[in-house]
Formats: sequence, structure tokens, C-alpha cells
Amino acid sequence: MRPFAVVSALCGLVLSSSSIVSAQSTAAPLPADFKPPQVFKNVNLVRNTNLEKGYARETINVVVENVDKDPQSEYYLSFPSEVFDRVGGLEVRNKKEAEKGRLDVEAVEIDSLSDVRYLIAHLPEPLAPSSQITLGISYSLLNSLHPRPAAIEQSDRQFLTYSFSAYVPSAYQTVTQKTKVKFPSTNVPNYTATNLKTGEDPERQGSTYTYGPYDTTKVAPGTTHPITVRYEFTKPLITASLLERDLEVSHWGGNLATEERYWLRNNGSTLLNHFSRVDWTVANYQQSPSSAIRELKYPLKPGSVDPYFIDDIGNVSTSRYRPSKGNREANLDFKPRYPIFGGWNYSFRLGWNNELASFLRRAVHGADSYVLKVPFLEGPKMAEGLQYEKVVVRVILPEGARNVQYETVEGPSSNGLPSADQFVAEFSSHKTFMDTLGRTTLTLTVESLTDEARDSHLVVTYDYTLFDALRKPVTITLGLFSVFAAIWVVGNIDVSIKKR
Amino acid sequence: MSLNQVWEAASASPYTPLIAKDSQFSVGFTLLLLALILTGLFGLNRSFLSIATFGIPASLAFGFGAVYMICAVGVYV
Repeated sequence: MRPFAVVSALCGLVLSSSSIVSAQSTAAPLPADFKPPQVFKNVNLVRNTNLEKGYARETINVVVENVDKDPQSEYYLSFPSEVFDRVGGLEVRNKKEAEKGRLDVEAVEIDSLSDVRYLIAHLPEPLAPSSQITLGISYSLLNSLHPRPAAIEQSDRQFLTYSFSAYVPSAYQTVTQKTKVKFPSTNVPNYTATNLKTGEDPERQGSTYTYGPYDTTKVAPGTTHPITVRYEFTKPLITASLLERDLEVSHWGGNLATEERYWLRNNGSTLLNHFSRVDWTVANYQQSPSSAIRELKYPLKPGSVDPYFIDDIGNVSTSRYRPSKGNREANLDFKPRYPIFGGWNYSFRLGWNNELASFLRRAVHGADSYVLKVPFLEGPKMAEGLQYEKVVVRVILPEGARNVQYETVEGPSSNGLPSADQFVAEFSSHKTFMDTLGRTTLTLTVESLTDEARDSHLVVTYDYTLFDALRKPVTITLGLFSVFAAIWVVGNIDVSIKKR
Repeated sequence: MSLNQVWEAASASPYTPLIAKDSQFSVGFTLLLLALILTGLFGLNRSFLSIATFGIPASLAFGFGAVYMICAVGVYV
């Protein structure tokens, strides 16, 4: 466990103007024809592409050898520039020391005309000449699956295409490599066959297709060989173009209020004809698979109460809440107001309350210090997965909280979140009921996330004194007292008409 | 020390509010009622002594009562 993002702000009694804290690459842009120094060689590379969800998830395990005379610590990762902006939750680990956490990854600023974009993974210690290290690189590719045909009948099956290169994009020469593609089913009507190796390519085994292994000793780094696969995926491609998530801490009420506002979209095939209510009812009755979002299932933390599901019109009654019993999760199953077919949008908000005791503790080191641990992202849990183009998490702390620090929790395996420099943090003041100064608010913005980050946690520490806590009742007390005082003063003014 | 370790170290001291969620309404209602009665008593005799004996307690009861009542109705401040 290693802190990788600690940002603090002295908020004081009066919050200063918001300050954006983000770590950006400071290097000057490199020319478009930049080539990373050829100091490494990929001895063996295996890429696993998982297409079981509504986005592609890739895991690359690569044995890297230092072929230079000097120890080297900067390993360049390369991505085609059209893919680069859609890479989400990138994480690089040393496979042999996975529990030590992720490696620091930094984007290389390069001329915008370049076809290839680079990231630098900083190895924990320089790799000696001729020695090897095994890296595990995992990331998701958002909006990488495209429906073909792009428009289908309402009850038709949906097919998606995914395009990639048989040669894994790498900045270094690779000796052998292979790609395993895992499909959601065995129904793969079209795929590119290659003659890059002797024998059948790809080799098929159930729903897994293996391209390679290829001997690519003589293939220059950056060479591509396009492959396209087309497979059945009669499930929606659920995309949240924006998720705003508010976590509001109330010390007086002992409550953690969560509210999420979703802007959903289905990236699947659009409807060829008009929507048919009859066909939809029949399909629902038969529970046949559909490319539309029919229902979303949202497991909530144990002890969640008072859930609500509303949209622009008002309360949506098609939801069912099963409260938790004991330590089991509660379940909120909700149906959007209408089925969401390909290209359709739906925005709504969900909210619920929790006891604060499960999320807030008094820190040991200071009498007035508190530590809050909340889920960074929850979201519906669906077999087809969810992709979030932009997530804005707002932690609204009590009025007067200061010395705010935050950190996302790192575990021995991926938490689905990108590295710290991909978070944009902002401190501000949020004024709502009974506030005089406004509540200290920490806003974290991340782009390109998937539901892999469902179990990620955010830890926030802050100082909050008794004086801060008493601000609300004391303000109201003083307000009423001034009314009494005014009545007394006014009552004592002699306005009678008499001789003085 | 990472913040998660701070969280782990504090496992013995979960935050408990002064008044539990279940009793917020009764506490809030009682305090607001008390504030109303004391305000009424102040209204009967608007002297300086009344401010001290009824005005201050009424203001305090209203201040804390209002905070608990707004929490009790679901607006957690």
C-alpha cells in the first residue's frame, strides 16, 4: 500500500478561491518522428484481449530485457494516437512484485501530428544490462467496439466489430508474441485469418481465438497488421457520457448521503424501423436477449436506506429495492422510463443514505481529525459492463473542515483506476441548507473509467473542531436572540404622547 | 503513513453522532416546543430579566432544535 496522491489544502475559516491540483507532464513536446531509445527488447509478449463486456479490456504480460550497456529504468509504452485518448484505467506492475503496487506512468508530450503516442513507465529500480523483468500492463479501451450492421431490427441479434493489430504496438523489438482474444460466445461469424505463421492462424478453442505465436525478430517496432473480428453481442453497450457522484458527510445527522447523476447512452446498433411496443412486450415476456438497456441492477452497501430514482419528469416508479439483511448487500433494481436502444440517451439520478459510522472514524493522531473511507465509484453491476467517459466525484465535507487530504486505495491487484496524475482535484465551497461559509468540497474528475473501478475506495482525512460543528446551531441561536433583543429594545422605546 | 493506514489505525473509534438518527425527531421536536413555550413566556413580560431567563434558553433550544429537526426530515446538514 503506497500513497500516490496526497493533496492538501488549508481551507481555513473562509475558503479561498478554488485551486486546481493536477500533475501534468512538464516535458517539452517531442517531434512527431520521435523514436524511443532502443534500450530494451521484448523477449516474450502475450496480450489477452477480453471482449466479454461492452468495452475491450487488454492485459499484456511482457518479459523485458535490457539490451543496453547501462542500467535502464524508462520503459516506453506506445499506443496508436487514435486509441490513446480512449485508454482507461492504465496500470503497469512488476509481475513478480505485484503487491508493491503500480509503477509510475507518465505521458510523453509529443507533436499532435504523430501517429503514435507514448507513455513512460518508470521501473522501480534501474534494470541492469542483460537482466529481465516481467511487466503486467492492463487497460481498457473505451468506445472501441462498433456495431455491424449499424442498424438492426428491434428483435435482431447484435454483432460488434473490434479492430486491432496482430503485432502488438510496442516501442521495442519483440522476439515472440501472441494475442488471445476472448469472445462472449462462440458465435464469431467473421474474423481475419492471417498467414503470419505456419498452420492455422488464429487457433480457435471455444470462445478463445489465439493469434500467433509469431516470431517477430525481424519485424520493425511499430509495424501493424490489421485484424478485425465480428462477433455476437446481443447486449447493450452501456456508456455513461458523464457521471456526477456526490458524497455528503453530515456530522450532526450521522449520515452519509450519496447522490449520483447519470447521463447514459447505448452505443449499440440503432433501430432500423420505428420502435414497436408490441414486439418489446413480447420480447420482455419471453426474456429474450436484447440490445436495449432493459433494467439495471445496482448493489448498494449494507445499511443503505431511503433510495430514490428520479429523472427529469419526476419519480420513476419502476424500481425495486431489497434492503440488506445483516452484512449482505442491498439491491436496487431499476428500469429506465423507457428501454434504451442503440443511440438513445437517458439521464436520471439515484440517491440513498448510509449511517456515517461505517465510513467515518476519528483519527488516532489528532483529537479533531477524522478519516473518511468511501467507495470512489459504485455504479450498476451488469454482466455487459459499463464504461464511463467522465466521472466527477464530489466529497462534500462539513462546513469548516480543513487540512483536507485524499488518496485512492491501492491493493495487490488493479483497482481499475488510472494513476494519480490522471485525477484533477479541486477544492471549493458548496453552500446549501443552514450554511454560513459553505461546506468544504473536494471534487475529483477522472476520464475514461469502466466498471472495473467498482471496488475502488477513496480515503479523505480532515480536521474539524467542536467550534466548527457548533457554527450552525450558534448562528441560529444568535439569530433568534437578536430578535428577542430587538423586541426588548423596541418595547422599551417610549412613544407615548405626554409631557416629559 | 498512507491515509489508508490512518483509516486502519482508527478502527477502534468509529464516529458516533451525539444524537442517533432514530431520536433526532423527538429531540428536535422537544427542543422546538421548548423554544416556543419559552418564547411565549418572554412575550408575557418583555423585561431585561426575561431575556436572560427565557430569551437565551429559547434561542439555544431553537438553534439546536432546528438543526436536529432538519436532519430528522432528511436534509442532513
